Amino acid sequence: MRNWFIIFLSILCAIFLALDARMRASGATSYVEPGNCQVCHEEKITEGKTGYVGSEVCKVCHEKEYDSFLKSIHGKKGIPDSPANREGCESCHGPGAEHIEKGGGKGVAIFSFGKKLEAKKKSSKCLSCHDETKPLAFWDMSRHQLMDVSCDNCHSIHNGLEKNLKAVEPALCFTCHRDIKSQTNKQSHHPLREGKMKCVNCHDPMGSFGVKMLKADSVNELCYKCHAEKRGPFMWEHPPVEEKCLNCHIPHGSNHLKLLTKKVPLLCHSCHDNRGHPGTIHTSFETFKGTATSNKNRMFARSCLNCHSNIHGSNGPSERGSHWLR
Amino acid sequence: MRCRIIIFAVIFSIIPFFYVCASEYEIESDVGVTGILLNFHGNKAKFNEYRDIEDGVYGRFHFKYDSNYFLDFKASDIAYDTQYYRLEGGKWGSFKYHLEYKEIPHNFTFGAKSFYSGIGSNNLTFSAFPPNTDIRTWSTFDYSVERKSYGGGIKLDMLRPLFFDISISREEKDGVYPAGVAGTSPGGIAVELPEPINYTTDTLKFEVGYAKRPLFLSLSFFLSEFENDNHNLNFRNPATANTASTTDVLTLSPDNKYYKIAFKGNVKVPLNSKLSVNLASSRTKSEADLLDFFVDDVPGGRIPITISDKIFDGKIDTQSYDLVLTSNPFPFLDGKVFYKYYKRENKSDEIRTIEDDEILTNELFGYRKNYYGIEIGLRFPARLYLITAYSHVKKERKREDVPENKDDIYSFDLKWTGLDFMNIKVGYEKMHRTAEFHAPEVGPEEPDFIETFVGRFDVAAKERDTYRASVEVSPIESLNFGFGYKNKNTDYKDVILGLRESKSDEFNIDADVTLGKIMKVAVYYDYEKIKHSQFQRQLPFNATTGFDPGTPPTPSSFNWGAKERDKNYNYGIGADIYVIQKKFTVRLQHDYIRSDGAVDYTYFLGTNPLPPGRTQDNIDISNWDDYRLRIYLIKAVYNATKKLLLSAGFIHERFSYSDAQLDGYEFVPATAGTNGAFLTGAYRDQSYRANIIFLGLACRF
Repeated sequence: MRNWFIIFLSILCAIFLALDARMRASGATSYVEPGNCQVCHEEKITEGKTGYVGSEVCKVCHEKEYDSFLKSIHGKKGIPDSPANREGCESCHGPGAEHIEKGGGKGVAIFSFGKKLEAKKKSSKCLSCHDETKPLAFWDMSRHQLMDVSCDNCHSIHNGLEKNLKAVEPALCFTCHRDIKSQTNKQSHHPLREGKMKCVNCHDPMGSFGVKMLKADSVNELCYKCHAEKRGPFMWEHPPVEEKCLNCHIPHGSNHLKLLTKKVPLLCHSCHDNRGHPGTIHTSFETFKGTATSNKNRMFARSCLNCHSNIHGSNGPSERGSHWLR
Repeated sequence: MRCRIIIFAVIFSIIPFFYVCASEYEIESDVGVTGILLNFHGNKAKFNEYRDIEDGVYGRFHFKYDSNYFLDFKASDIAYDTQYYRLEGGKWGSFKYHLEYKEIPHNFTFGAKSFYSGIGSNNLTFSAFPPNTDIRTWSTFDYSVERKSYGGGIKLDMLRPLFFDISISREEKDGVYPAGVAGTSPGGIAVELPEPINYTTDTLKFEVGYAKRPLFLSLSFFLSEFENDNHNLNFRNPATANTASTTDVLTLSPDNKYYKIAFKGNVKVPLNSKLSVNLASSRTKSEADLLDFFVDDVPGGRIPITISDKIFDGKIDTQSYDLVLTSNPFPFLDGKVFYKYYKRENKSDEIRTIEDDEILTNELFGYRKNYYGIEIGLRFPARLYLITAYSHVKKERKREDVPENKDDIYSFDLKWTGLDFMNIKVGYEKMHRTAEFHAPEVGPEEPDFIETFVGRFDVAAKERDTYRASVEVSPIESLNFGFGYKNKNTDYKDVILGLRESKSDEFNIDADVTLGKIMKVAVYYDYEKIKHSQFQRQLPFNATTGFDPGTPPTPSSFNWGAKERDKNYNYGIGADIYVIQKKFTVRLQHDYIRSDGAVDYTYFLGTNPLPPGRTQDNIDISNWDDYRLRIYLIKAVYNATKKLLLSAGFIHERFSYSDAQLDGYEFVPATAGTNGAFLTGAYRDQSYRANIIFLGLACRF
């Protein structure tokens, strides 16, 4: 197992280097110079293109935006269909001649991505190119699309951040999802605020088949990507665990250890009530400071988990396994 | 490990040389160093839960090359437990690759103690029975797990509309984690054990597809192999007088192999619609050697059991099918109709174990989910947008108590954007769950009769109402205000014993204002109140009657209730003061995060007295994971030149923690009975106070 990993890594590097060498040998590194697009795409270039003035003209008034466009991925001429190889600024903002004739101004005879415009119209500008790409293939299904969130709510090609985001994650997501921000501040949390995880590690804001735009077909499938040791399969399963991790855990943050929805033993009592200790009341008297003469080790420290630590599943012998004690 | 880091470093170093021969290119880089002085008191594991802040110098480096080819290399926290390196590169429009190495620590408790030797291995022992209860003689160790992951991948776009994506990664997780066992069961002591964590997970992702209107097709394969170096944790059981050679065993996670094959696709259809499909199948396999004994306090120590097979072969298959039709036939109408099918099938071995003539067979849990629904978005005049949705979920599971649930979920959201500077949303969601509850067919004298009254919240019938609202206002460009509110009530209407009600109320406010070129101020306030109410029944261990909670109470058989309440409130205020515009900025920030938990217990004893010393008031708990985190920051940033940035500052961070289950911690509260435990100190004394002085220098080239 470990060997194939090393072999695979080596093959990966070899593929990359071979690819790189081949591209160089074939001279494929050079791109088509501006103005030569029509050699192959004559129809596209000339068809119905009236009112376009060219990016250099836009630059006269919008130098800062022009510079940021050049630095962004949209300004890369190496990408065959990039705006840089089409109408530049006007690929997204539309023809600028009338805008100039009317003396300019925000939204005057130009597509400005302003707040007045409908989300769908703004997004359609982006989707005219990007819905042919893998990340946006399922945008139509996303909750964001349905809730009228437009691409420019999160992205701006003029600010130079990674993936053209308007702010870094998770701060960007928290501008709308304030309740989630509050949860991530709780003492038990995934390392989001430490910058070791991002919202997109679990969610696909561009749409997916999973509920809550999860990047998996089920909650457990997603959790097991990082918590593979919980995957089992175990001989003695704990059905709520196998059905949905969220039965006991809140992934965004909890006051209680281990991202638990409630504190143990009350969480366990919620389902396990029977004669003996499952149904026994554990109060302040059963804590370290309490004066109870029995049942304290079911309450203090990690409570039920003091003994039942294989709560996610066990291969232990007979009753000790079935009760997650071994 | 060091060898692998060197390999990565070499790869990182060599690759740039393939690029420098390009004719036109741009190179940007920046280097930053930050010196830190830390003054610390308290629990460092909590302070550094996911961090590695120490006295020292922290470095970061960023190199960016851009031409037809591009390369982006980032490194941060070099040589610390949080170090991160990522190299991305490729040719615009043709291919992209990445190589990444990162470490994430997860520290739980430093300075834990145990009488065991061999901590960190899967053999824990002590020399003489009973173990020494003087904790000054015990070994000290840290509960901490470090994740180290590295890998790489390539994405090919050069054959568009075909695309190709492959990546591999390995994650190594090493450390010690708190586990525990019952010394003997039932009625035994608790023994906290330091569990060795030595996991390796290798993953391979491969995807090939086609993306050109009107079609998108993708076929992917995901493989993940998990290896645990320790399948069992052998330990000498301090609850038995057996010899050191009679080891008890805590089974640990088995190795497993998981793979998934998925096809995803969509096609544009008439009426501005799109039909999307997802077909996926996965398999998880494991294998475990089973034990044919358990350890107890008997001569010889081991009690044999009979098992039908000494090897357990675990196998779980899942199938997932989705069909989604999205449509925007008219400008005022958005629609989505979906169907989802998910099945988890447990094909593992059924193992029969016989212990004292009692036969026990593992139940193979599986379930099937059918899920369909419709969502409609309607645009009205005055920029009013209504989204209504309905979905139905039917879940069938192999489980005795509730084999079937049916959920009906209705929701509406209304969004108004009639004013350019304001965005208002209100929403409501109703969930109605029915449960097919099967009471056990046993007489009232059988212990399982109590199951007639137990309703488990994960599957119990319930009514859930969720109300939400948000307002975002930005009257002028320099002023933003946001408000969010959510209220959620869940009523487990048929539950007699168990969780009966959960309620939560929360609101969040934030605002920021920019005062010309002088300063920017941002504030936030979050409040949340969560309440859970449950009703339970206490019965003696050997009870043969009184399982019905309607039975009149006795001093030993009675009902009780618990109302758990969590209140959280956080606030923060921050200001960026532009002392010299674009040259010298001072940042001030204060954050306060507070949790206040409590449990209100009630004995329903009728006319019977409460146990001696107890009243309905003194049994309650007022510190239930209570904590306060206060952070104060002052930071000055000086742009000496366009390429040189200096920063300096001070942070005071204080975390105060109090919890009924951990306050007054004792490592050995007793050595026998149900008060007995040999603990190690996991999660105790989490409070800390830290003062951090930092001085940073960043250069851009």
